[in-house]
Amino acid sequence: MSKNQSDLTSEIKTKFKTDVKVQNRQRIWLNSNPNELIDMCKWFKEKGFVHLSAISVTDWLEKKEYELTYHLWSYNEKILVTIKTRINRKKPVIDSVTPVFYENAQIHERELHELFGVEFKGNSDLTPLFLENWEGPDPFRKDFNWREYVKDSFYNKDDEREKVYYD
Amino acid sequence: MVKIVKKLIYYGGRIVVKRSEKAKTMRKLIKAIWIFNWFNSCGFAELVPLVGSRWDMERFGMIIVGTPRHADVLFIAGYQTHKSLERAKRVYEQMAEPRVVLALGSCTMTGGMYWDSYNTIKKLEDYLPVTMYIPGCPPRPEAVFEACEKIFEHVKELE
Repeated sequence: MSKNQSDLTSEIKTKFKTDVKVQNRQRIWLNSNPNELIDMCKWFKEKGFVHLSAISVTDWLEKKEYELTYHLWSYNEKILVTIKTRINRKKPVIDSVTPVFYENAQIHERELHELFGVEFKGNSDLTPLFLENWEGPDPFRKDFNWREYVKDSFYNKDDEREKVYYD
Repeated sequence: MVKIVKKLIYYGGRIVVKRSEKAKTMRKLIKAIWIFNWFNSCGFAELVPLVGSRWDMERFGMIIVGTPRHADVLFIAGYQTHKSLERAKRVYEQMAEPRVVLALGSCTMTGGMYWDSYNTIKKLEDYLPVTMYIPGCPPRPEAVFEACEKIFEHVKELE
C-alpha cells in the first residue's frame, strides 16, 4: 500500500463513512448508496479520477436487486476505484452521472438502459443502441428466457426443417 | 519461324484447351460478374482467400465494386441482426436488375452457432430473396466459384 493510497482510503472513510476494501496497490473497492453516488463521483473527479472506464450492471435475481458498478481511473495516482451501489430490480431508477462525466458516461448508460432497463434520470439520450425495433423484454435480465423467446419469434413447430429445435 | 514465336508469347507457352460449346454460349450470354459485399462478423474472412493470389477471382473478371448500383451479385455472409438487415435491404434495393444474392456460410442458412440468439435472424430467405446458399463455415473458395458458375448457367431465368 503506497502512501497516496493510504491517504486516499483514510480520506474516503472520513468523508463518506463507508467500508473501503483495498485489494492491491492499484485497486480500491467501496460501496455506496444510490443517493450518495453523485456526490461521491464529483469528489473523486476533483481528486483526479477523471476517467470513467466502465459502468456495469449485475443482476441479483434472488436478492431482487441490480448492482451497478462504476470504475474510475486516475492517471496521476494510477489507482482504479470501483464504486458499487445497489438499486431495486423492479423499479431500477438512479441518477445519471452525465453531469459529472459528460459524454463518457452517456454511452454506457444508454447501453444499460437498453439491456437491463435501468432508467438514468438526467441522461438526455437513452435511445436504443444495438437493438432496433426491439419489442421483447430487456434481454440481459436473468429471468429472460431467450430460448423460449427465439422459439416463439423465429421458429415454426410445423416446419419440417425446424422441428429439431423443439425436441 | 516468326509466327511460332508470336504464338508462344500469346499463349504464355502453355497448352491451350479448346473451348467447349457450353463455354462458348456462356461467353455470349454473360459479362464478368461484379460483386458488392455485405459482411458481418467473421464473414469477411471467408472471401479474403478468394481475392488473394491463390484463388484470385479477378482472373475471371470478378471485382468488388464500391457501390451496389454497379454490382450484379450481392454476397451476404456472417450472421445478420435486425439492425444490419435494414441496411442490407437498402443495399439490395439499390442494385440494378437482374440481381443475384449469394448467401455465404451456415449463419445465413440456419443461424449457425447463433441458432438460439435473440437478436440475430435465422433464415435469410425470410427477409431477402436469396438466389443461392453456399454452405460451410466458412465455405471453400471453390464452392463460391461453383456458385458463380451456376449463376452463368441460370442467368436467362433471372430476367
